[in-house]
Amino acid sequence: MKKQTKLMLNLLLAGLAIALLVTVDMTTKSTSMLRTVLQMGSIYALVAVSMNLLNGFTGLFSLGQAGFMAVGAYTFAIITIPVNAKGGVYYLYGVNDAIKNIALPVIPAMIIAGMVAALFAFLIGAPVLKLKSDYFAIATMGFSEIVRMLIASSGLVTITNGSFGLKKIPGFTSFYSPFIVSAVCIGLIVLIINSSYGRAFKAIREDEIAAEAMGINLARTKILAFVISSFFAGIGGALLAQYLGAITSTTFPVKLTYDILLIVVIGGMGSVTGSIISSFLVIASKEWWLRFLDQEHYIGSFRVPLLKSGFRMVVFSVVLMVVVLFFRRGIMGNNEFSWDRIAARFAGRKKTSETEAESK
Amino acid sequence: MKRFVSILLVVLLCLSVFACGSKDDKKDDSKGNVVECNVIYIGVFEPTTGENGGGGMQEVLGIRYANSLFNTVNINGTDYEIQLVEVDNQSDKTAAVTAAQTLVSSNVIAVLGSYGSGVSIAAGETFANAKVPAVGVSCTNPQVTDGNDWYFRVCFLDPFQGTVMASYAWDQGYTKAAIISQNGDDYSTGLAAYFKIAFEKLGGQIVAEETYQTNETDFNAILTKVNASGAEVLFVPSSIQTATLLLPQAKALGISAAIMAGDTWENETIISDAAEGVTFSTFFDENNDANEIAKEFVAGFKAWLNADPENLKLNGGSDGVAAVSALGFDAYMVVYEALERLAETNSVAMREALIATDYMGVTGSVTFNEVGDANKDTAYIKTVQGGKFVFIKTQVAE
Repeated sequence: MKKQTKLMLNLLLAGLAIALLVTVDMTTKSTSMLRTVLQMGSIYALVAVSMNLLNGFTGLFSLGQAGFMAVGAYTFAIITIPVNAKGGVYYLYGVNDAIKNIALPVIPAMIIAGMVAALFAFLIGAPVLKLKSDYFAIATMGFSEIVRMLIASSGLVTITNGSFGLKKIPGFTSFYSPFIVSAVCIGLIVLIINSSYGRAFKAIREDEIAAEAMGINLARTKILAFVISSFFAGIGGALLAQYLGAITSTTFPVKLTYDILLIVVIGGMGSVTGSIISSFLVIASKEWWLRFLDQEHYIGSFRVPLLKSGFRMVVFSVVLMVVVLFFRRGIMGNNEFSWDRIAARFAGRKKTSETEAESK
Repeated sequence: MKRFVSILLVVLLCLSVFACGSKDDKKDDSKGNVVECNVIYIGVFEPTTGENGGGGMQEVLGIRYANSLFNTVNINGTDYEIQLVEVDNQSDKTAAVTAAQTLVSSNVIAVLGSYGSGVSIAAGETFANAKVPAVGVSCTNPQVTDGNDWYFRVCFLDPFQGTVMASYAWDQGYTKAAIISQNGDDYSTGLAAYFKIAFEKLGGQIVAEETYQTNETDFNAILTKVNASGAEVLFVPSSIQTATLLLPQAKALGISAAIMAGDTWENETIISDAAEGVTFSTFFDENNDANEIAKEFVAGFKAWLNADPENLKLNGGSDGVAAVSALGFDAYMVVYEALERLAETNSVAMREALIATDYMGVTGSVTFNEVGDANKDTAYIKTVQGGKFVFIKTQVAE
């Protein structure tokens, strides 16, 4: 397919997506579930892609995503809660003088949130990245738990408000904010993946020794991947904080990392489009489509068996098991969405039907 | 190539027409959710799974019972049917926000719940943004209603409860107390903090302060430390799940200090040999004959529970009336009573009606102060004796 045609098709797709969002914004009530699912899906898409950068593209199996999100979310919350609301938020322990009069606008605050998360990644990266595979996973998971404990600990109560968490976090200014931020960030990640750094990441994933032999500085490249991934996880955390409006340390349990890992696995390790598609699918089915399973339903006077509170999560888990057992490569494998592939598929079909016709 | 451009333009054009044309259909948000087709939906925002699943279920039972008694209402001459929309917030703060979103998008005009404070705080903004008033049932943390004009509640608050328990401990002659609270849990940490403030004010001494993590199962290290500190009383505000694990371990270690807790512990599942002598404060006493409404509620609720084995099972296997069920009933009744006074059938008018609430309920009279909290000044102290909850006394804060 010609490059120009592809560009047109891509533009068409982007136009369609934008038109879809505008339609949703115009036609649905502000309480509609569709809006929630789309917003949440876009936030998870960003975090999943950032995790994929590390787990899928660089081959570093990290389980610290929730920790970096917590750092990002808390940083964002601490520096954006309006000054006059701070007294009410830190009602029991009082607010630390250092942050008393800080209330930054949203965009710089999000960048700072990402940078702080990246800084944490840089600091723990040096010792942790020496570890391989499982050990690395365990160390990052440990980090994520440590962050959570620290946030809730009594030593930092005037900054993080301990167990009470932070609320009154400014929300999205418009319906489109999370989509724009996610799209820009994912765009940046794709640019990185397609650059020479990205090729170095993939080289490390395929074979560390061969990569080193080709002149890639292993330690430096790995830490780069780790820091970049954490930066975007931090921004994802900041988005989540805006979406939720209130966060506590228990908003970021290890389970959150697993949820994201699950999105990455379902989408396909090493596929950006896969992560995006699967995050929307997973969020929509978990929070919306499957929710009817929690309620009792009657067909006539017949009570549908099994449907009761908690059944949704059972079905969700079974679906996941089926996916992991039978569709191990996920939705996209490690391929990206491409017009060539679609064209090839159509062309292939046409060709086979033609040959069939000829043979008759 | 030209063909592609033309197709692209046509598609975009069609979409833009569609987008603009549908602009008129956008619903009016200024009145919040509006009742349609003579059915009023009331949301039930409770945890029925997860850490607080047991207690949350008892609250739901109280609400269902109330709904079974009062399921139609006459507003300005029109009869409306009242239907509950139940949603499980999984005792999880992130799930709570989408659960709340599910409720507001199913056009409820008021929400009841929740059991715990954390999920209510997390969902508070969602309700406020959708202009749907919520009536908290047993969420006792001040942050639930503070700064949120759309949240009300029918129970007392942690500052009050913590102070009451401190006063009670002091009245019993204890001077050294130890506190065990759950790291990361607003209810537990808040109650512990208020207990500490009040107890020290009375002249008592806090000799140990320990924290445990959510879902921790082994409390031996903490209990040993606390025991060695010479505390005469342990204050352990925690979830029911933790209580059932902690109490046997405390007994096995031979801890002689009295154990006290907050309202969560009034649940039949904590009763065991190890729980004998434990005291806690709660909202309501089923054997209190002074209140006619309460008497009627207890009899009716017991009959309702016993009529369906499924309900009995959900209530923890017995027909004991938990305080949270009574509060659930009261929360529903507060909303019901406000419905009768409704000027317009939408959620914004609902809030106006709730502000003017003056209702005599099972757990005492309910009027809301300017923050949206019920004005309550009495807590009931109960203990476990002979495998049963026994009422000791009512306690007011000193």
